Amino acid sequence: MSFLADYGYIGLFFVVSVVFALTTVLIPQILTALGVIPSKPSPAKSATYECGMDTIGKSWVQFNFRYYFLALLFLVFDIETVFLYPWAVAFNKLGLFGFVEMVIFVGILVVAYLYAWKKKAFEWK
Amino acid sequence: MIWALLGPELLLAIFALAVILLDLAVKQKGVLAVFSIVGLLGSIGASLALWGTNGIALNNMLVIDKYALFFDVLFAAAAILVILASTDYVEKLKGFQGEYYALILLATTGMMFMASTRELVSIYISLELTSISLYILAGFLKDAKSTEAGLKYLLLGSVSSAVLVYGMALVFGTTGGTHLGVIWNAVKGLNGIADNPTLIMGIVFLVAGFGFKIATVPFQMWVPDVYEGAPTPVTAYLSVASKAAGFAVILRVFFEAFGRAPWLSQSWGMLFAILAAITMTVGNVVAINQTNIKRLLAYSSIAHAGYIMMGLAAVGLMESQLALARSGILFYLAGYGLTNLGAFIAIIAISNNTGSDLIDDYKGMVRRAPVLSLGLAFTLISLTGLPPTAGFVAKIYLFNAALQSGLLWLVIVGVLNSVISAYYYLRVVKTMYLGEPASTERLSSSGPLRVALTASCFGVLFLGVLPNTVIQVTEAIKFLVS
Repeated sequence: MSFLADYGYIGLFFVVSVVFALTTVLIPQILTALGVIPSKPSPAKSATYECGMDTIGKSWVQFNFRYYFLALLFLVFDIETVFLYPWAVAFNKLGLFGFVEMVIFVGILVVAYLYAWKKKAFEWK
Repeated sequence: MIWALLGPELLLAIFALAVILLDLAVKQKGVLAVFSIVGLLGSIGASLALWGTNGIALNNMLVIDKYALFFDVLFAAAAILVILASTDYVEKLKGFQGEYYALILLATTGMMFMASTRELVSIYISLELTSISLYILAGFLKDAKSTEAGLKYLLLGSVSSAVLVYGMALVFGTTGGTHLGVIWNAVKGLNGIADNPTLIMGIVFLVAGFGFKIATVPFQMWVPDVYEGAPTPVTAYLSVASKAAGFAVILRVFFEAFGRAPWLSQSWGMLFAILAAITMTVGNVVAINQTNIKRLLAYSSIAHAGYIMMGLAAVGLMESQLALARSGILFYLAGYGLTNLGAFIAIIAISNNTGSDLIDDYKGMVRRAPVLSLGLAFTLISLTGLPPTAGFVAKIYLFNAALQSGLLWLVIVGVLNSVISAYYYLRVVKTMYLGEPASTERLSSSGPLRVALTASCFGVLFLGVLPNTVIQVTEAIKFLVS
């Protein structure tokens, strides 16, 4: 029975989420129908984003292929940072073993960096 | 010292990085091939030095036993032959030789980890290391066919990986562990199929995911296109090492986690028996109509996956046959590996000259290249399973294991299929020996190719004439089970 009870919990969330979504959508509609809210549409109100820049052109444009290299390189160093943070926090507990391990890890990334450098991935031409 | 236990794998990983760096420094790219082969030989040496140890490393996730070490040697040997066979080929890969060798080494590293890991997540990671390297290698030529092969392999491979992970999740959900020993402990306490639909579902997904790697029938669609489009040395490597790695994982996972509870093992044993029958029949029947030799060997490799699955079925249906069936699978993989590599090496040598993979262009090849034709004919005879070759002994040995498990019907299907396969293999031999050559120009082949072809042909002959020496080794191979 506890099995069903667990699903009941999820069911509760489901019901709440549906009711919440419907209510927030329906409240303005009902209030407009009752005449509480005046209906005065304007271009500023119906813009896609209330704040931020207006988009220029369509989003289906071709991107320069070189962004792909940058994205890959970014990923390499991003992951490096993600791993370096917890390592730095626990540095004192990890001791020499942790240090050597991180040196090996960074060493592998340095190989990737050298490779990218030599293959001219950083040059924009 | 656990690092010594991981020697074969670590050595290859270091060499792979070193090849990338070396590629940046040297102009003479032939050095890279030599360097890679040195690394692979070192890895074989490390495996042989560890032979006989039963070690556990990295929190019990990796197990170094004879089973794993046997596969380490098999993968590294296959990689050496492939690299020897690619020395002419990489000339075509302008400016990407270093990546080519490094990726082969990385794929081999991944396969070695696959053979020795006993934990689902590390199985997945090593499988991905192998697959991602092979996806890139399949598309390496960058022409229309090769790109299609790479993309197809990538897309279908990703789907199959997803299926595999889903299966692992279901198994984890029912048993509460990803370690094979933990899974087995949980399976031991369960009481029958009917009560555990989720587990069965998970196992079916695992079969589907691994089935993609070894190319069993419902998941074989990618094989002909990828094998045809990929660079031929990569095709050879895919058809031998990638398949062997798949079988290495399947046997360990299914025996250790699900194999010792008869109610469970008999259901997956029967599943593999039926898949084996369908796979070998489809592979052989479709191969008859092929006009391209790479496609022909692709379908033949599907058929051989079917034969090898007979061994898995034998293990599942009768646990007492484990030793015989395991030894049969290992011997078959070794024999099939050498044979298929030999056949592909001969094809590489021929197509380097003629630029064509069509069987019609092999007419009268014996007058243009007698030694290459003899090598190709010999390996095709071994693939058929005629004496005095490795294929013959391997088939008898594996069929015997299936027979001992009471799979008479499957053995009959297997024998009938071997007869069908004789038709299309020997047709190629007939074309080479009796056809009229289009030109009389002699073919030339490079030294490394000749060395590789000779080595694999002698290996096939050796396994066929003196199988006992190797069978003694494979029979002594056990895997550690927790």
